[in-house]
Amino acid sequence: MDLNLAAEDVAFAKEVRAFIDTNLPDATRRAMTLTTAFLNEPELGYEWHKILHEKNGWSVPSWPDEWGGPGWTPVQKYIFDLESARAGTPVYNGQGSRMVGPVLMHFGTQEQKDKYLPSICSGEDHWCQGYSEPGSGSDLASLKTKAVADGDDYIINGQKIWTSFAHKSNRMFALVRTSSEGKRQEGITFILLDMDLPGITIRPIIGNGGDHEFNEVFFDDVRVPQSGRVGEENKGWDVAKFLLEFERGGALVAGRVRAQFAKVVRLIRDRGLSNDAHIRARMAEIGADLDTMEMVDIRVLSDLQSGANPGAISSMLKMRWSSIRQEVSELALDAAGEDILKWEPERPLYDALQLPPDEEELLGIAPRYLNFRAYTILGGTNEIQAEILGKRVLDL
Amino acid sequence: MDLQRDTEHNLLADSAERMLSENYDFSTRHGNQADQGENAAWADDMWRQFAQLGWLALPFAEEDGGLGAGMVEISILAEAFGRNLVTEPYMTTVVLSGGLIAAIGTPEQRADTLPAIGEGTLRLAFMGGGLGDISVDAAPSGDGYKLSGARKSVIDAPMAARLLVPARIGDSAGIFMIDCDATGVTLRPHRTLDGGRAADVELTGVNVSRAQLLGGLEDASDALGAAIDRTIAALSADAAGAIGKLVEETLEYTKTREQFGRPISKFQVLAHRLVAMKVSEEEARAVATLAVLSAEAPAKMRRRAVSSAKSKVGRCARFVGQNAIQTHGAIGTTADLTIGNYVKRLMVFEARYGSTAHHAELYAAIIADPDTAGAGLLLSPAA
Repeated sequence: MDLNLAAEDVAFAKEVRAFIDTNLPDATRRAMTLTTAFLNEPELGYEWHKILHEKNGWSVPSWPDEWGGPGWTPVQKYIFDLESARAGTPVYNGQGSRMVGPVLMHFGTQEQKDKYLPSICSGEDHWCQGYSEPGSGSDLASLKTKAVADGDDYIINGQKIWTSFAHKSNRMFALVRTSSEGKRQEGITFILLDMDLPGITIRPIIGNGGDHEFNEVFFDDVRVPQSGRVGEENKGWDVAKFLLEFERGGALVAGRVRAQFAKVVRLIRDRGLSNDAHIRARMAEIGADLDTMEMVDIRVLSDLQSGANPGAISSMLKMRWSSIRQEVSELALDAAGEDILKWEPERPLYDALQLPPDEEELLGIAPRYLNFRAYTILGGTNEIQAEILGKRVLDL
Repeated sequence: MDLQRDTEHNLLADSAERMLSENYDFSTRHGNQADQGENAAWADDMWRQFAQLGWLALPFAEEDGGLGAGMVEISILAEAFGRNLVTEPYMTTVVLSGGLIAAIGTPEQRADTLPAIGEGTLRLAFMGGGLGDISVDAAPSGDGYKLSGARKSVIDAPMAARLLVPARIGDSAGIFMIDCDATGVTLRPHRTLDGGRAADVELTGVNVSRAQLLGGLEDASDALGAAIDRTIAALSADAAGAIGKLVEETLEYTKTREQFGRPISKFQVLAHRLVAMKVSEEEARAVATLAVLSAEAPAKMRRRAVSSAKSKVGRCARFVGQNAIQTHGAIGTTADLTIGNYVKRLMVFEARYGSTAHHAELYAAIIADPDTAGAGLLLSPAA
């Protein structure tokens, strides 16, 4: 047992670091430090995605080479994430590359794979996720948006909510109700659809942090070809569960959270607060929590590398990482003190501001703290994760 | 990078757990030790069994009569010790004292001690605290030194024949090996919170020769720090084992205890608390592993990992200990259950070699540098 990277992995890390340092535009770096939403604006990610795409499929790091990915080992992918996080690269279309892509590779028809995968890889398509509804959050299986078969199509009526970047996506994967018989989970179908279809209306939801990230999406007699159905009719819940696993455990996020933490430690130092008793104690607690969860990430990585199944640990990762991210944003809030009072309403901040870097940075702290409250809610709340862990791990 | 235990690791873990769970009954041993009286000679079949199993020679090099194992093997044993409330003087004798002698001892000092430790015929205690915590002065005297100073609760001293004494020599720190019955050494034995034994030790002008200075080094601070960190890493694994046992016992209790006509594990507030305890256990184990795997890393990384682990495992210990008692209800507050013994063991863990708060402070000083705070744990991408 050891924590040493193999020589070839060290060489790989150097290659990735050099590539990012050479190719990541300075404007993008600045924009990322001023991003306050938990996902950066798609436009910001698109440019970087294209650069990565041209570099042998680095745009879809977890994909096999068969579908245009780099075919990396789990360790290589982890290193790529670490180096990307260290440099602060934007992400683009995670819903496509990390969610619907793997779903299609697993459940999709050849026609669907050929139609959708290349444009995720190239960045041409941006996907959003139509899961939650106003009455169906944690209790997702109660969803009501209805799809009725009509010839080769479905006619869809209903409403989705909390749809991240629906207003900047051209495609959606959604769960819809195709049957009201039997168990609720057995009447749900997984469907792919285009966002420009007649009858779709998008209404923005502005978060407490001032960002427009979420939306409501209304379906009014929207005609969707049945060829967009993934898996069998009424079997969409199995597809959704597979995908949720990806959402929770698919991303080992130590690198991103550590980069965020290092930034706050720098802020603390620059503001002369390194010896403030409260700040120092919290910094030590959060730092040790981060080390701990990085070790859990590395253990999952080691499991993946050796072909073992990490199991229900994905719920623990989701629970703890989401909380630690919030704590880091809270530490920044404490360090900024009264300087959080100044509020810039325009978004994105990087387009709105023209200030010295340290002044700019302060304006992101309060919005980020507010937006990051969503971490412990989206993708299954921490309470739902506790339910899952209780059942699967403790057999309660 | 590899966090998988191999076949030999699994064999060691299984055999340690089996041997201890079958033969090591804490209550009996607790009673036996009390019956022996505070000053009774300590001779014990259990220690001989440890020797026969090779545990006492585990970390030493083959030329020192050892088995050449490392910190991973030590941590596997330590976790089993924590799960089974073992109070034998393993950490003080083998990991800390043996480790120090192996690291810097002269060939004579090593030959004099390490095979005997491995065979179970020599036990040592350590008359120092955490990093930099030294309470003895060594004044030059003739060809040697005179040691003076005192320390409370020197763990395992009543069971040891010798003491390793870190002592200030001017501005530096050397380590002396002395006999417990040397002139000028006074031991006042007492019980410890976790069922072990310790002594308040006083040294009044104890004459020592240069040959008793480990490695002949008047400044052994680096080796001392490394040995204490290895011991903390091993104790962190021990604590993770004790935490795991508390979680198991609490879980089991909630599934059998019924109130309002159903097992109390069915109440969501308790179910979520059990999950939080389980998560805490996983965290303790993960960060203990960080300390164990960083024990031989360069000093800066080792220090960061060990203080991170000591402070984090300490927090997990307190959380799980308190909630184990609370979840058991009134019976949890009594000496009738073993959970109290685990809670006490974890209290001792927190207090030894620098408290939870002290290590949080040491850790804060290290990561107050943003570059260090931003550096990941894998050794070492793009270094």
